[in-house]
Amino acid sequence: MIGPRSRRVVLPLAVFVGLVLAWEAAVTVLHVQPIVLPPPSGVALTMARTAGPIAFHAWHTLLTTLLGFVAAVGLGLLLGFAIGGSATVNDALYPLLVGFNSIPKAAVVPLLVMWFGIGTAPAVLTAFLLAFFPVAVNVAVGLATLEAELRDVLRSLGASRWQIFRKVGVPRTMPLFFASLKVAVSSAFVGSVISETVASNAGIGYLMAVAASDFNTRLAFGGLAVLGAMGVLLYGIFAVIERRMTAWAYAE
Amino acid sequence: MTAGGLTEALAGVSLEVPRGSTVAFVGPSGCGKSTLLKLISGLLNATAGAITVDGQPVDGPLTNVGMAFQNPVLLPWRSVLDNVLLPLEILRENGDPRAPAPDLWRARAVALLATVGLSGAERRQPRELSGGMRQRVSLCRALIHQPALLLLDEPFAALDAFTREEMWELYQRLRAEREFTGVLVTHDLREAIFLADAIYVLASHPGRIAHAHRVALPRPRALAQVYGAEGSELMRRLREQIRPSREPAA
Repeated sequence: MIGPRSRRVVLPLAVFVGLVLAWEAAVTVLHVQPIVLPPPSGVALTMARTAGPIAFHAWHTLLTTLLGFVAAVGLGLLLGFAIGGSATVNDALYPLLVGFNSIPKAAVVPLLVMWFGIGTAPAVLTAFLLAFFPVAVNVAVGLATLEAELRDVLRSLGASRWQIFRKVGVPRTMPLFFASLKVAVSSAFVGSVISETVASNAGIGYLMAVAASDFNTRLAFGGLAVLGAMGVLLYGIFAVIERRMTAWAYAE
Repeated sequence: MTAGGLTEALAGVSLEVPRGSTVAFVGPSGCGKSTLLKLISGLLNATAGAITVDGQPVDGPLTNVGMAFQNPVLLPWRSVLDNVLLPLEILRENGDPRAPAPDLWRARAVALLATVGLSGAERRQPRELSGGMRQRVSLCRALIHQPALLLLDEPFAALDAFTREEMWELYQRLRAEREFTGVLVTHDLREAIFLADAIYVLASHPGRIAHAHRVALPRPRALAQVYGAEGSELMRRLREQIRPSREPAA
């Protein structure tokens, strides 16, 4: 028997390996054209041969994503604190934010390209635009849901708004903030890849656009595999950070 | 005794709470019991009438007040000790002379926790505690800065019957040891009889004092007295008085 912890690692891995094997078998048995669907072994071979360029583009995508992410966390925190801390700011900004967030960000990329040209800048900005919203909303919710009784306890000690914010507001918002980071980093990743696909000369998104225009299906799948691995890794890192930073919020 | 009392006017009815005594407000939901507490503590400003504490009119949040609620609202990221110390941190930051030097804090909190039966629990996290223990911590947080006034809004309502009775006895012990004036809002008539020197029955629409009772039982009180003839008679009368005020005004 395996323990519950290793179960959570072993089971999904087993399913993943099983799917890859089934894919390989299906392609071979059904004689599928490699240009339509290459076998995983072929994809792996291409990835190994182009490891250098893939690593270069992956690194570029990672930096782009993280730049946009860091900016988004900064603005998201500020906006979240402002919205959660003040009913006036909330009433004024929240509907606009929701409206802005409902715009598909891919539609903004052409504008960004007009302003900043093809390259890294639109990718960083797209990553930023996708990522700040979850941070802002979570931080605002954390602040706004402060228990009325707790506020009364503090106010009856003569605590200022700033003291209530510092002593209680910020700490109790941290679990929501850290939970939003893993969502935000995934969103930033989506944003940078979208922008790279449309208008860039570096990054995995660009690599995949080039592969597709060459009908290089193997390389396109290779890019997809790298994106998958990077996405899981980024999410996983921030999930671990979340668990570490706010252990108190995970009561049994 | 205006020097130590507080005067509260609600729909034209005044009352005075002598220093060191405990009064209870009972009544139907929505009769303004919790609002009354907020008015006394200065968290809400009265639109008419006057509230004075220690002879001073209340025109902003008081700082010589401790508060506890049905929900203990402890800070889950702080240990029991650090939860209890929160008021002292605030007072010290604000330069309040009643905050002792920080090197005395720990001893004071440990001693207070000991009086509520929480010796050795200082390092524990709130999530590890039972409901009754959390409420004890909440009481300690309300008392650590030695407030003159303790405001309790249904503090024991969420506890089981036995734990609640333990808390009543704890309250009685605390008020004998420390001199605070207590204002209690409760739905529990036995609680009011056991803890209070005077009980005010509030009626709603508008919130007003419908009846006032002096609880003549001697102190320290025993639970048997509350459940005995005298307590039961007072209980019966309180019930009769609250029932009509539950019906909507004609």
